[in-house]
Amino acid sequence: MQKITSSEQKTFEFAKTFAKRLKGGEVLCLIGDLGAGKTAFTKGLASGLDVKNIITSPTFVLMKVYSVHHDAIKKLAHIDAYRINSGEDLEAIGIDDYFNDKNCVTVIEWADRVKEIWPKNVTKINFKILEGDKRKVTVT
Amino acid sequence: MIILAIETSCDETSTAILRATKGKLELLSNIVSSQIDIHKQYGGVVPEVAARHHVLNINPVINESLDVARIKAKDIDLIATVSGPGLITSLIVGVEAAKTLSMAWKKPLMQINHMYSHIAGNFLNKIEFPVMCLVVSGGHTELVYLKNYWQFKKIGQTVDDAAGEAFDKVAKLLGLGYPGGPIVSAEADKFKAKELSIKFPRPMIDSDNFNFSFSGLKTSVLYATQKMTAEEKKKKIPEICFGFQQAVIDVLVSKTIKASKQFKVKTVLMAGGVAANKSLRESLKNASENNGYEFFVPEFKLCTDNAAMVALAAYYLSQNKKPKLDNWKKVKVDPNWELK
Repeated sequence: MQKITSSEQKTFEFAKTFAKRLKGGEVLCLIGDLGAGKTAFTKGLASGLDVKNIITSPTFVLMKVYSVHHDAIKKLAHIDAYRINSGEDLEAIGIDDYFNDKNCVTVIEWADRVKEIWPKNVTKINFKILEGDKRKVTVT
Repeated sequence: MIILAIETSCDETSTAILRATKGKLELLSNIVSSQIDIHKQYGGVVPEVAARHHVLNINPVINESLDVARIKAKDIDLIATVSGPGLITSLIVGVEAAKTLSMAWKKPLMQINHMYSHIAGNFLNKIEFPVMCLVVSGGHTELVYLKNYWQFKKIGQTVDDAAGEAFDKVAKLLGLGYPGGPIVSAEADKFKAKELSIKFPRPMIDSDNFNFSFSGLKTSVLYATQKMTAEEKKKKIPEICFGFQQAVIDVLVSKTIKASKQFKVKTVLMAGGVAANKSLRESLKNASENNGYEFFVPEFKLCTDNAAMVALAAYYLSQNKKPKLDNWKKVKVDPNWELK
């Protein structure tokens, strides 16, 4: 699936709609440069999952976990690999607990930095910066 | 009264000893793991991201803080630990260590909010309440109103990136290295012209709440540099850094003063790692004093994550309510603990 969004708000809305097809247990690997829309996407996703908290960037703290109000999905784990050098660091903070949780949706920003720890069947979401505020979002 | 404080909410393992004698406060030790040679004891190298190394660090750091302070376990009257907000696997190490010591040594245990502890870094000064505090760091940007030492609430926060993170990411966009705060501000100091050829936005400066947003500012730096050749970009670095830093400072100062007026405070405080930024310190100090508020910011080593500020927080909170000896049974990690 591919979508050209014309603004940050449109990326947010695309993710909000995308959230409706999640069933729990998914691992979403977000890949794209600084300012490409990864956090905007995650905010939209959280909005679609009815998360009440303000979603802030987890770059510094590495991981934030939010409660989800949904039939099958109970948690959203928002992880950020920007600051770390290997997947081991994420394994050490217990990322496997979230990968193996059917009631959790896991989002990893800068996922291309930790490919070695991706579980099977991840959903890859690529963000490409086009001219101006336009972004190409590709889901595979 | 002697307090042992523990902080493990993010990268640093830190412990401190504070002595209070009739209201006079003395920091006897403040040990931060990155500053002592722990890996010697294990024969290994401690990596940059220490989140998983708290468990190796915690005992040596506690022992070091007791040794430096020349204090024995039996002298301690209160143990304090940060139990949130932060990374769950990091927080859990400090909290479990504190609970174990509380039970074994039969000392009361108090849990402290990490954001409140940053604010308490200012409590070595004599503070007149009410207070508005701007907490700015790599992971947080919040405005907190304090009616007194033990009644406070968060009134605004960033809705995306923290201010310190924006500095780091702009440094990365400009190829300047890590950590970004000091580098961007040093580059900004090199800019001497009066006029800026590039304009940066002031996100949410006029919004009718006390929230912040810095993600779009990072994107505007990206856009400004996109069209430049590598050579142009290099030449423009001081100007971009200056323009970006000024935009961040304008928003932080404007919102802090607006909040101070609305809440009719007497004192403005600043805390967190970004409080080390010289231009921000000067701007907020001037704006505060021009509006008739007293202004304080801690010395640098009390701005970044450390346990001394946790001990200070525990001292003032315990003046209001002293924890019971079996309080350790109730203390629990809360990675999303907000100041309400």
